[in-house]
Amino acid sequence: MTADNTVKKLLIVDDSKVSRMLVRAQIVAVHPEWIISDASTGEEAIALVEKDPPDYCIMDINMPGILGTDAAEKILEKYPLIRIVIFSANIQETYQSRANALGGAFVAKPVSEKSIALALNHFKCPN
Amino acid sequence: MLTEMQRDALAEVFNIGAGRAASSISEIVGDEVKLSVPAIEVKKSTEISPEILALNDGKFGTVRQDFSGPFDAAAMLLFSEENALEIVRDMMGSQMSLDELAEFEQEAMCELGNIILNACLSAMADMLSISLNSSLPCYTISSCDEILYAITGNATQDYILVLNIALTSAKRQSQGHLMLLLSSASLTHLIRHVDRFLSGI
Repeated sequence: MTADNTVKKLLIVDDSKVSRMLVRAQIVAVHPEWIISDASTGEEAIALVEKDPPDYCIMDINMPGILGTDAAEKILEKYPLIRIVIFSANIQETYQSRANALGGAFVAKPVSEKSIALALNHFKCPN
Repeated sequence: MLTEMQRDALAEVFNIGAGRAASSISEIVGDEVKLSVPAIEVKKSTEISPEILALNDGKFGTVRQDFSGPFDAAAMLLFSEENALEIVRDMMGSQMSLDELAEFEQEAMCELGNIILNACLSAMADMLSISLNSSLPCYTISSCDEILYAITGNATQDYILVLNIALTSAKRQSQGHLMLLLSSASLTHLIRHVDRFLSGI
């Protein structure tokens, strides 16, 4: 893989602060130049995207308020070029299919070098 | 007793465990399983009440499994008695009569409890880089009072970590609750491991 040092904007959406910290740490280890913001609910994520659309988004499903998949759908309706990874512990087929149907990718938690590599792979692959 | 970060870390650990469990259960019962956001509270045994445990007056199918390792914990999974039978029916096939279902209830609920409780505790062990051994699951039908007595009547369980995750079957609206009981010493050990995990981020 060739090094890609382009500065990208990533939005991490997870109600768990620990989970957001873990994702951030793994991403920064690979792409220290990226600009990372985060949100703790789907609603907050939608508001942040309206203000400053990111290139990429990592979205949990099971959060207070709307489901991450619903937030992703709303975001993609308006910003179809944002690449979204649905990143969840809820690995049921229904949720994986929903992520794929939205045009996103599903990656199973926990946060690890391997799972983050899968997310990065989805971000980098061409539309 | 728990800082916001410790509570957050534990909630995330159990969220991962419950997610794995929901996937397995979904395959077993052939239905989508919805998960609530985990809620975690540490309570003195003497403060435990039906309200805190989110229990009503009915009878409950209770699967209990004991875990041991760097800390000891008793994990309990509670379903209302009617929900338990419905889940067994989904597991075993709807053509069975109620009598036949009752015959399999013990075994089926132990297996279900084994999947859910082990998924949660394994997620915790993996994330905290520890190893936990588990006893065989044990299933009983208990009233709310009997459950409270089992928790508060045991002098070694000074504190109880009440973890509440609702697993709801989309078709049946069956709901289960997960509880984890730890003694004061075990809770101190658990917190130490959580802190070690947090300092490694």
